[in-house]
Amino acid sequence: MYNLVMKDLKLGVNPWFFALPLFTGVLMLIPGWIYFLVPLYFCWLTVPNVFGGFKSQNDLMFSMMMPVTKRDIVKARIIVVVILELMHLFVAMIFSFFTFRLYPDMTYYFFAPHLGFWGLCFMMLAIFNIILLSMYYKTAYKYGAATTASTAAAMLFAGAVQWAGIESPWLNDIFYGAGADNTALQLSILIAGMVIFIAFALIVYRIAIRRFHKVEIL
Amino acid sequence: MFALDVRNVTKIYPDFQIKDVSFQLEKGYIMGFIGVNGAGKTTTIKSILNMIQVDGGEVCIFGKKVSEHELELKQEIGCAFGDVDFYSRSKIKTLTQITKKFYKNWNDETYYSYIKRFKLDENKKVAELSTGMKVKYSLALALSHGAKLLVLDEPTSGLDPVSRDDLLDIFQELIVGGEISILFSTHITSDLEKCADFITFIDNGRIVASSEKNEFMESYRLLSGSEGRLSEVKEQLISYKTNSFGFTGLIHAKDFDPTSNLEAVTPSLEEIMIYFAKRGDSHV
Repeated sequence: MYNLVMKDLKLGVNPWFFALPLFTGVLMLIPGWIYFLVPLYFCWLTVPNVFGGFKSQNDLMFSMMMPVTKRDIVKARIIVVVILELMHLFVAMIFSFFTFRLYPDMTYYFFAPHLGFWGLCFMMLAIFNIILLSMYYKTAYKYGAATTASTAAAMLFAGAVQWAGIESPWLNDIFYGAGADNTALQLSILIAGMVIFIAFALIVYRIAIRRFHKVEIL
Repeated sequence: MFALDVRNVTKIYPDFQIKDVSFQLEKGYIMGFIGVNGAGKTTTIKSILNMIQVDGGEVCIFGKKVSEHELELKQEIGCAFGDVDFYSRSKIKTLTQITKKFYKNWNDETYYSYIKRFKLDENKKVAELSTGMKVKYSLALALSHGAKLLVLDEPTSGLDPVSRDDLLDIFQELIVGGEISILFSTHITSDLEKCADFITFIDNGRIVASSEKNEFMESYRLLSGSEGRLSEVKEQLISYKTNSFGFTGLIHAKDFDPTSNLEAVTPSLEEIMIYFAKRGDSHV
């Protein structure tokens, strides 16, 4: 499994996509921006390009020729996706510390990048993963519909939660009011987001394996 | 113990099926797996490699079922698909560095000896290699991890005659020690006349015959005679062609009466394949 992860990181993923989190992370410095867009660049750019590369380079056949199980192939691919997602989120989080220092008196119309916001980002990517990978492993090479559906779902989640954050007094208080400075509350939302992210990754791992076992390598 | 034992493998697709495919390859021999395009060669090979889920039958390699010992057996199998490239924009050495990590018995010394022997430049990208060089690179990888069974799907297709001959010489050298066995699918039957010990012939998803090469060829006769004499043997012929000089047809040797005055010769593999394909056409 480790060898498959290294194969993806060295051969399958273009080095540019390891640098991309730095460039999207810098967008956190735009004052008062819609920061949900930052992790969404992963969905818009990295996933279709990387999965397109796997398809065009016959990665599926290559992996199947190696002495590995189908289970390992799925596990390795999910780990690679998660590694890239974590890179995007962690780099963006680091930049967000500077955002607060640079613009201490900013009035945020959209979510400010508090810890709770990153919890929401983890939830968004959890939804993205469960749709992307469960659809992708029906064939293990068709990625178009899977990326479209999963990206749409992630954007809908982001839009809906942002709307609720503005409109709902309860959520507004958590993200804009007194709750924003409540570190324990913010941290608990972040941890909840991470737990959902891990749980969804484990669920999609099981779904993907079941589907991939039925896939014929043509 | 057989290097490869395929027993009653069946795979059903909506518009095509391979049915009860069975054949055995002994250790230390080359088996040619022949059939026209679409006869089921690649489907059979993918069944052997557990890439498709069969609907029936089983495949054993070195006495072990592939379905149960896939990981262990893949360490001992080398495969090459003539027309499929992987990571063609990567350098050979990068691909090798990745690939070697998967194999317990990888031997760098063996690898570099083959790289030298096949005159492969490690700094070249896969896309820069000729078709023959790509096959040689696949062989170098397979042999460096100590593969004892080589499963090659159309390895000589697209090669010029000199490269094909060169590759066939390599195949024959490989089996000299009696350790390595080769299953080699092709529709270029002249290659097999040069190097195969056994022939397995698949037609329309079914194995027509699997036997020693000369025995296989001797089990058929190619008859020719005037058109007027066609009626004498028409029922026994597998298929036939007519032209202004008369007819030519393929018959099982057991169905041929040597006392008839028809001209009979041993057919080539290509002729056997053509007449079987023609039978298929006439059935449609």
